[in-house]
Amino acid sequence: MARARGAIVPLAMLVFLVAFPTLVGFAGGGVTLAARILVLGLFGLGVDLLFGFTGLLSFGQAAFYGTGGFVAGYLLIHHIVPSTILALAIGMLVAAVAGLVVGSLALRQVGVYFAMLTLAFSQLFYFLDNSPLRELTGGENGLPGVPRAEVFGIHFSSLQETYAFIAIVYFIGFVVMRRIVASPFGHVLRAILDNPIRAAAAGHDVYRYKLVAFTIAAAYAGLAGGLLGLFQGYLPPDMFTIDQSGQIIVMEVIGGPGTLVGPLIGATVWIYLSQVLQNIGAIGSLWKLVLGLVFVLLITGFRRGIAGGVSTFLQQWQRREPAPVPSE
Amino acid sequence: MHLIEAQALNGLALGAVLSLVALGLTIVFGLLGFVNFAHGALFMVGAYAGWVVYSQTENFFLAMVAALVVTFIVGLVIERVLIRMYYRRPPEDQILVTYGLAIILVEIVRAIFTGVTRQMPTPAWAAGTVQLAGIFYPQYRLVLIVIAAVTLAILYVVLFRTRIGLIVRAGIDDALIVNILGVNVNRTFLLVFALGAAIAGFSGIVDAPLLAVNPDMGTDLLVQSFVVVVIGGVGSFFGAILGGLIAGEIISLTTAFAADYSSVALYAAMALVLIVRPQGLLGVEGRA
Repeated sequence: MARARGAIVPLAMLVFLVAFPTLVGFAGGGVTLAARILVLGLFGLGVDLLFGFTGLLSFGQAAFYGTGGFVAGYLLIHHIVPSTILALAIGMLVAAVAGLVVGSLALRQVGVYFAMLTLAFSQLFYFLDNSPLRELTGGENGLPGVPRAEVFGIHFSSLQETYAFIAIVYFIGFVVMRRIVASPFGHVLRAILDNPIRAAAAGHDVYRYKLVAFTIAAAYAGLAGGLLGLFQGYLPPDMFTIDQSGQIIVMEVIGGPGTLVGPLIGATVWIYLSQVLQNIGAIGSLWKLVLGLVFVLLITGFRRGIAGGVSTFLQQWQRREPAPVPSE
Repeated sequence: MHLIEAQALNGLALGAVLSLVALGLTIVFGLLGFVNFAHGALFMVGAYAGWVVYSQTENFFLAMVAALVVTFIVGLVIERVLIRMYYRRPPEDQILVTYGLAIILVEIVRAIFTGVTRQMPTPAWAAGTVQLAGIFYPQYRLVLIVIAAVTLAILYVVLFRTRIGLIVRAGIDDALIVNILGVNVNRTFLLVFALGAAIAGFSGIVDAPLLAVNPDMGTDLLVQSFVVVVIGGVGSFFGAILGGLIAGEIISLTTAFAADYSSVALYAAMALVLIVRPQGLLGVEGRA
């Protein structure tokens, strides 16, 4: 019974991923929009592990998003690695190593200091990409010509097929992340979120746990970066910017931290606000102002975002029935 | 050789501005306990306020006053409406709300003035170059160094030689005790937040002739002033100045030798300080 319950969420996610382009289509978007949202959703899974489950607010995740993207893209463009999967994996690995290095320095501090340091380190990556590594990364021009995915002889050449590829990767990432947060490791992270001092007193090496979480988040960011290259065919240098780091944080908070699907919801809201409002002449340029106001309102009043609000509502609604035995 | 001297002077000018911006950040952080991610946006608001007044009056002094007054008032309003609710919330929430605030400020300015980059002309009385030990050097940069030095001196006197400064410093040390001793700490918080905003705005207008004025101009400066605070030490007056000068010189001198690495060198220096002396050069341990 418990196992059957555990399969409901992944199944629902699978159904959702299949239906998503159609839903986006009804709402006036294309499959590109759906793919973009999924990439950010995957990126956000790592951010949610960091912020939603561990309480670490990193303002430098763009560094790993860009690193993973550019490494994978470079390998594919220059045919250094024949397989898409291998290139994505190497990009992910390099991003994870970068995360390990940055994390080992930034995690020496907590709270405000940690946020400032991640931001500063991501600027280091931005400037590395822009100047000294210009020859490799294309500097301000970015990297064009990333080929579409090819796995075991199957070509994901059209946009629809690329969406399918991204959806498969997202699904695997989602299921793996569900396992991570449900594992004993994930429980320690939540203990750190609740009270780092108590977690340390209980004998957990808080720094090590945070570092592992930070590295995993960097790996997710790197993988998402690689996927962006696949469907855009192009890697823009602004993957490394502060705005990119801020964007994913805003999506996380709007969607709902600690819910895993939060960033997906946040990304949908962000992208729809920018696309839909932009088409309404007079207030088109104000979409980001609206977003900023919504964001401040959510932090001030509804700390758990959209997904958190919905789940609270559902729990209260369920409570009318006889209370079920807690499954955990 | 002359190039290096000129770059060293450039570094001093840049460092002076960075010191000023970082000081505003560090005072607010020291007293209120949180980093204002909207500090860069306030820098930008100051630059715009000054630019508007300057293009109407051609008077740089009035432009400086306008930047100060406008950002001070914006600071007062922000503290009353929003920041006040956040003193008791976790640092992450405080960062997020000021980040959101930065988005709002930037987008309001973009809505009013569009995203077009404006040029803030150098005031006529400081537009020329001066001959200095054999090199011709833009006069305004020297003026900028003087303005920053004078402002820092005034702030020093206010913070260390007046009663209100005593309250602020005591509040940085322990706000609760100061409150118990019968000082209205809430009013001090309001004042200090607005003062920090005004310092950012003032830095924005005096730096504007060297920069392009656009809605996103504050972002780089915000991050650089974080680096300054990390290098110098949080909550330290002289740490902000030392960190600012070091950062300014690193950027300018690396530009002379290896331009590609100027920004990279700055962040590498920050990482080094963090490893060797995590509390910053002049910071006190356990303050973070």
